[in-house]
Amino acid sequence: MRPGDLLVLLLAAVLVSYLYLAFWGPGTAGEYAVIHANGSEWQKVSLHEEHEWQVPGPLGTSTLEVRDGRIRFSDSPCQNKACIHSGWLSHGGEAAACLPNRISVQVIGRDRRYDSISF
Amino acid sequence: MKMLHRHIAFACLALLLALLTACSREEPVHHIQLLTFGTIVDVTLYGVEADRARQVFAAVEEDFKNMHAAWHAWKPGPLARVNELLATGEAFSAPPSVLPLIVRSQELARRSGGLFNPAIGRLLALWGFQSDERPPGPPPAPDAIAALVAARPSMDDLIVDGVTVRSTNPAVRLDFGAMAKGYGVDLVIDHLRQMGIQNAIVNAGGNLRAIGRRGDRPWRIGIRNPRGPGIIASVEVQDDESVITSGDYERYFEYEGVRYHHILDPRTGYPTQGVAAVTVIHDNATEADVASTALLIAGVERWHETARALGIKQVMLITSDGTIHMSPAMAERIRFETEQPPHVIRSDPL
Repeated sequence: MRPGDLLVLLLAAVLVSYLYLAFWGPGTAGEYAVIHANGSEWQKVSLHEEHEWQVPGPLGTSTLEVRDGRIRFSDSPCQNKACIHSGWLSHGGEAAACLPNRISVQVIGRDRRYDSISF
Repeated sequence: MKMLHRHIAFACLALLLALLTACSREEPVHHIQLLTFGTIVDVTLYGVEADRARQVFAAVEEDFKNMHAAWHAWKPGPLARVNELLATGEAFSAPPSVLPLIVRSQELARRSGGLFNPAIGRLLALWGFQSDERPPGPPPAPDAIAALVAARPSMDDLIVDGVTVRSTNPAVRLDFGAMAKGYGVDLVIDHLRQMGIQNAIVNAGGNLRAIGRRGDRPWRIGIRNPRGPGIIASVEVQDDESVITSGDYERYFEYEGVRYHHILDPRTGYPTQGVAAVTVIHDNATEADVASTALLIAGVERWHETARALGIKQVMLITSDGTIHMSPAMAERIRFETEQPPHVIRSDPL
């Protein structure tokens, strides 16, 4: 085996793992989420770092929790808690909002598997 | 032989580089999320410059704000005024922002056999669904519900003569919640086309219409799983189609462990039971919106005949226990995204 053979094998291995990750791997899930507050973008947050985001709104502070590549409203000062009922969001295009507190979140996937979601 | 290796190595490198650059290339897709119209509105445009997209988004936001003000079912405004005047039983000139909805909904209510009934505003108010924040508490008293159902408010109680409208039934109070999002999406799509936009998705609270394509591929739409996280199915749309879902999970309240959702059966006055969600694909968003609600109320027994009466061909109905009923035209194009394929019952053609 010459160095050239090794190089070919190495590149082939890299290519195959890259293709695997690109088409079957976690890349199809969301990569980050955009949080909007009161009509403008508040923050882009990574879904790979566990964190609790405290987002200010007209009613008070809503909490958005990031864990295991997902995000959700875990607390909000609204009455009906529709935002919390929306549950975990993980796929590109998924969104939830707390309308009374004017806060929304949308997951952005690396390849945006869905352009829009019917719900 | 060494030469050949070098060639292969070079080809691999070139392929890798090509793949990497393909990922990072900016695509002419612009997207905005608005909190308006009482919901989340998402607009996606393809194939326009950023400056033009900003202008278009501003126009669309204005459209939704105007429609929100005109059709709001419980805040002061044109529809609230119409409701006050209907209660008097006297004839009046209907505002131009509301009259087209009255006329259109009369026809659709009739075709749905009264399952789509925007005249039941009093019932919705009694249940607390005409408020941004329903205060916690029990569902309304059965007597009060029965009284409003017995008054039989119907769109046929409205006499429309040109721009003049009057009601022959004081129980009528209009609430276009089951139609306004689709109707608004249709108007905004018309406006986008007037502005020269050919490729777009307008999504108002999960009710969307898509025109054109996303460059070299069709628009891809996910359909939310009504009984779990994520997406249950997807569909590719192009040219001009609406994908509209009504579900029992969208608005609801809980009292003593029982969940009461916002889609009321006008025949009983209570939230419907048995169906979790209905998705309709159709060219027109207004009709798709009305149909998704009417079919959910019609239930497993009657959705097929109701879809026929409304001229709808593509339907997916998911029952509360997860069984999926589909028309053949829907089954042919839908793709399930769940790990295990769900139990599907194909209906006769519509």
